[in-house]
Amino acid sequence: MDTMKNLNDMSIAQKGSLSVMIDKHKKTIVAFLLIIFLFILGEVIVSDFLSVGQVLLTIKLSSFIALFALCQMIVIAAGGGGLDLSVGFTATLTAILTAVIMDGKNENLLLAILVALAIGAAVGLANGTLVSYVKLPPLVVTMAMASIIQGIINVYTAGKSITGKPAPILQTLAAQSTGVFPNILFVLIFMAVVVMIILNKTRWGLKLFGVGTNETNAYLSGVDVKTVRMVAFVISGAVAGLIGLLLIGNMGTAFKDMGSSYVMPSIAAVVVGGVSLAGGEGNYFRVILGSIFLQTLTNLLVALGWGDAGKWLGFGIVLFVLLIAYVSDRRKR
Amino acid sequence: MSKITNVSIDSIGSSMKKIGLKQEVSSIMILLVMFTITAILQDNFFEPNSVVRNINAFAPLILLAMGQAVVIISGGLDLSAGAALSLLTCVLTYVMKQDDPITGVYAIVIAFAVAVLIGVINGIGIGYLRIPPVILTFATSYIWLGAALFIRPTPGGETVKWFKVFYDTKSAEGVPAFVKAIGSVFQPALVLVLVGCLIWYVISKTKIGRYIYAVGSSNDSAYATGINTAKVQMMACIINSVFIFLAALFFVGQNQSGDARMGDPMTLKAIAAVVVGGIALTGGRGSVYLAIVGALILSFVNKIIFFADIPNAYQTLVSGLIIIVAIAGSVAYSYINKKAVGKESK
Repeated sequence: MDTMKNLNDMSIAQKGSLSVMIDKHKKTIVAFLLIIFLFILGEVIVSDFLSVGQVLLTIKLSSFIALFALCQMIVIAAGGGGLDLSVGFTATLTAILTAVIMDGKNENLLLAILVALAIGAAVGLANGTLVSYVKLPPLVVTMAMASIIQGIINVYTAGKSITGKPAPILQTLAAQSTGVFPNILFVLIFMAVVVMIILNKTRWGLKLFGVGTNETNAYLSGVDVKTVRMVAFVISGAVAGLIGLLLIGNMGTAFKDMGSSYVMPSIAAVVVGGVSLAGGEGNYFRVILGSIFLQTLTNLLVALGWGDAGKWLGFGIVLFVLLIAYVSDRRKR
Repeated sequence: MSKITNVSIDSIGSSMKKIGLKQEVSSIMILLVMFTITAILQDNFFEPNSVVRNINAFAPLILLAMGQAVVIISGGLDLSAGAALSLLTCVLTYVMKQDDPITGVYAIVIAFAVAVLIGVINGIGIGYLRIPPVILTFATSYIWLGAALFIRPTPGGETVKWFKVFYDTKSAEGVPAFVKAIGSVFQPALVLVLVGCLIWYVISKTKIGRYIYAVGSSNDSAYATGINTAKVQMMACIINSVFIFLAALFFVGQNQSGDARMGDPMTLKAIAAVVVGGIALTGGRGSVYLAIVGALILSFVNKIIFFADIPNAYQTLVSGLIIIVAIAGSVAYSYINKKAVGKESK
């Protein structure tokens, strides 16, 4: 770390401060430029794309992607090629189960939150144990976990319709607006602040980044690498469980596929935000920018009438190109 | 003198134990057990009809698992296999017109070209651009999915009449008599698997076949010995695509339609089959033919569960559980094995 700082200081001395600023925030600037480019492109192709209402709607929709991307970011920061493909399914499961518990009453909300946390943490614990103690690839584990959760949902919903309504508080939080600003935006800002404090100001955050940066070094300095990784998955699962509550608050009812389509965008948002997939870093602000970019892209493709096919093709290509730009390892050897 | 004989007896004993501890042997043992249980549970297991039905049910997974095994041995992992399979079925049914037999040939040629292109794109990403295979193929799987949805938003499509030759030769129309004669002896699904085996047999005898193992066990060392590692990784991806292409031929012959979502569950099953077969996920070790054993084990387990008569709603849950238990079990077993073998050799 110190050498890095020294290098930075040296480069400040050598180059102008502006170019250093640009260098340091290169990925943030790229994410910003991408969003602005898309909005201008949208305004040119589709009229009425760049209005205040449209922008706020985009931000509201992208909040859900950003929240799911939070799960991914923590798991990715722990290193070891971590990714969590089960988040969307966990959210769906908690949404379906808590809908019955809440039954449209505020007084049942506390119980619902506890159930959501418990389910999410249990899924995360299973993922984390298999990844860090049995040493299976995270993607394979979480993919299998996703199909197990889908199986549980299938069993639960077999032969009966999904009943129940969210508590009014959740609807206020997730679906309604204060003035022009959607309430979910405040939830997101709150989450962002909490996450940044936990990651950057607490011992656990330091350990997480340490494990992600260099497993061996972290181990040698006395960090329990396996437990830190497992806890990262538990947090991811628990947060996903809570997002399930917000999803049902937004939709009003729970349904079978409500969360699964967020899995791919959540990973893409992290990559667009320029967070290293190798682990050891995490800048939630950039991830939020990434989510806004992806939602804008979706809006644009839907406005063009390309629908689902265009959305997945677009996401795939964007992810592919950004992987080449950010992840590709063309070092000389 | 006696010392020497003692040592040699010891070493023979330990090498016997080593053979016993080898994962290949245990995989085949498990397969035999599963085979026996299925044969006992299914009354008409050895009747020609049910043999044919079983081969048809097992063949696609065998093909996908073999392709996946090549990629895994080369040190990669292909999460886009299922999406690529869907895309190929969509391409095949998109090109074919029912009344025009020649379009079937065009479709096969075009789909093969698309398959090779899929392999090349994955290969460029993994080999030349050095992006971690898991995340790269995760990204490309959505490109294939999007492309498949573009040409076939809802499941459907048509095929030429003779395309059934890849599923059931006897009921295919407009096929030369000698092909029918061969097809009545050899099941098309079996022929496709044999073609797959033949392809891998030929490749494994060439330099590329050796290099795939070298690159998989240590990319940097292989590079240092002068192997073009990027090209080898790309070849592994292309071989995988060819296997997926063979599976797509079978599926289109069977269903006479294309579906952009149909391959999704196959990816995980193929990976699980490879692991259960005893091929290390870390790459460089295991034989591609073991993937066949793994695929058969998974298929037999599915059949046994089917006989347990569980409700339809539980299918996804049970198969997901089987996969995760199988993968975790195999990896834990090989880890324990490695320790045991290490102790023996000390």
